[in-house]
Amino acid sequence: MSAIADTPAAARPRRRKPIDGWRWAGRGFLVLMLLYTAVPMIWMLLTSIKSGFAAMQFPPQWWPSEPTLASYQKLLDPQNSVGQDFLRFFWNSLFVSSVTTVLSVAVAVPAAYAFSRFHFPGRRFLFFSVLLRNMFPAVIFLVPLFILMRFLGLVNTHGSLILTYMTFGLPLAIWLLKGFYDNIPIQLEQAARIDGATRFRAFLVIVMPLSMPGIIATAIYSFIGAWNEYIYAYTFLTRNDQLTLPVGIQRFFSENTTDFPGLMAASFMMSVPVVVLFLVLQRYFVRALTEGAVKH
Amino acid sequence: MAQVVLRDLVKTYGPIYAVDHVSIEIDDGEFVALVGPSGCGKTTTLNLVAGLIPLSGGDIYIGDRLVNDLDPKDRDIAMVFQNYALYPNKTVFKNLAFPLQMRRLPRADIEAKVLAAAKVLDITHLLERRPRELSGGQQQRVALGRALVRDPRAFLMDEPLSNLDAKLRVQMRSEIKRFHQDLRATVIYVTHDQLEAVTMADKMAVMSGGVLQQYDSPAEVFAHPKNTFVAGFVGSPAMSLIPLEAGTDAGAATLRSPDGWSLPLSPENARRVARATTAKVILGARHSTLKVHKSAVPGAVAGKVYTVEPTGDITFAQVYLGGHIVIVSLEPQVPIVPDEPVWVEFDQDKLHLFDGETQQALPRN
Repeated sequence: MSAIADTPAAARPRRRKPIDGWRWAGRGFLVLMLLYTAVPMIWMLLTSIKSGFAAMQFPPQWWPSEPTLASYQKLLDPQNSVGQDFLRFFWNSLFVSSVTTVLSVAVAVPAAYAFSRFHFPGRRFLFFSVLLRNMFPAVIFLVPLFILMRFLGLVNTHGSLILTYMTFGLPLAIWLLKGFYDNIPIQLEQAARIDGATRFRAFLVIVMPLSMPGIIATAIYSFIGAWNEYIYAYTFLTRNDQLTLPVGIQRFFSENTTDFPGLMAASFMMSVPVVVLFLVLQRYFVRALTEGAVKH
Repeated sequence: MAQVVLRDLVKTYGPIYAVDHVSIEIDDGEFVALVGPSGCGKTTTLNLVAGLIPLSGGDIYIGDRLVNDLDPKDRDIAMVFQNYALYPNKTVFKNLAFPLQMRRLPRADIEAKVLAAAKVLDITHLLERRPRELSGGQQQRVALGRALVRDPRAFLMDEPLSNLDAKLRVQMRSEIKRFHQDLRATVIYVTHDQLEAVTMADKMAVMSGGVLQQYDSPAEVFAHPKNTFVAGFVGSPAMSLIPLEAGTDAGAATLRSPDGWSLPLSPENARRVARATTAKVILGARHSTLKVHKSAVPGAVAGKVYTVEPTGDITFAQVYLGGHIVIVSLEPQVPIVPDEPVWVEFDQDKLHLFDGETQQALPRN
């Protein structure tokens, strides 16, 4: 941009009014979006460092007058019953989400590759039936899946959640990854096979590294889906020691009192893994989304 | 290096014959071009030889081995792709080393061979770069290098020059030809550019509609095209082909145009025309065998200049003979303008005559 702006010819369009109007409208929209996403997060953070009393004051204390980390201490202290629960829920969530992610990627990668490269009878039908699941809201499957899980003896196990999250996450994961494989020229694999690799090795050595952005995008997508899921976790699990975070956090609500700073601290802690994941892998993720969408 | 034999190759996609009973024998060290328009089956044929797609029928021998069911990796061939297919995440060095690594050569050997190939192709200074940091011509050299680094039984090349600009293409054309001469390598070279085929190949296999039309040396294909397809495809500008009717004019054999003009035939050509299955005959003439006169000459056909295309060395002109266009060539200093009346004289000894029904050449002798 700067190189273009330096030339006198490019200076002219800058003065045109309509373009500037749109640019400012765009900026305004972005600011609104930023407020929309950031304000709840900031409010959550601010509330989590207030005392229980300060959190309930009206008019609200915008800035905590006596900030305290008591809520965090309580949550992270394994001696304390609240902390014990919280850490267990956290671990449960981490376990369920990680296993879901690993298994989803393990299934989605070969499936997407097959849909992209092989022509077999029923390929189109299968591909669209994979997507069919996404045309219904997830709640519709709650009761049938519960019956199924009971039949399989999986109620009250993390297995039931992992299976369910995979069912819901895989269609989009396969669709996303197929786009990536479609964009990797088939001649690369052919070259590798002629150069002496088996089909599988060509896939492993040449295609896999090139589809890494797609795989990472898929992994993040599966992880977040599993990490945030509430309704199935709420239905399939009843034993306290198995709950995942979204369900477990409910414990901060009770009939008479609600520990708002504790709830907010727990919510903030819950967002940490996702944020960390995003910060670390963000570069790939952004690249991934454009690379899968654009046909070269 | 080895002989490559294709016997009765068939590749079908549903009811469609992409390759229709193609048989080609390629001698050890021979450079064969598979040439034809888009969709003629030449690349499919090459992929069959490489083993990248399964055969529907026929046999492929590389050396003395029947390779029909062998994996590409076991056929001991090297291939250069039209889009180069360089591994984008590997440096040039690793691209070149890959085929050797796959064959588990010791590291020192790999390095020596890669450096040798890089030196031949003058890409030594690029070894640490990645493909996206290279120009098109450099990428092309790396692709060639990856094939050269081994000593395969045959080189397969799928339009390796078609992504280069015109000047570079001519340069690489002579380099590939030179490297073929130095290595005495067996090369199967696919191209849609008949000029590439004619200039580079020992033999050319002209294909159309999945069928092998003619397999001969370029000179032979040029001089004696077997049918109207080959006649129209090989040579630039294309041979002029005019559908005519055989008949007699005052006892002498002639070819008549529905537009009214006629061409008397020499006794030998009259005999050839007599072999046609019907009276329909297609007359073929290359620009170099047509003489243009500015005034009426006995035996010459009157026509009218349509367009004039000077190229510097030689000037081409399209001339309407009745309703048909023929392409003629003139010395550049000869003045000629559109709509000018001219007389075109055919060289009876160099006339191409084809059966109007079967499209096959009517043989001499």
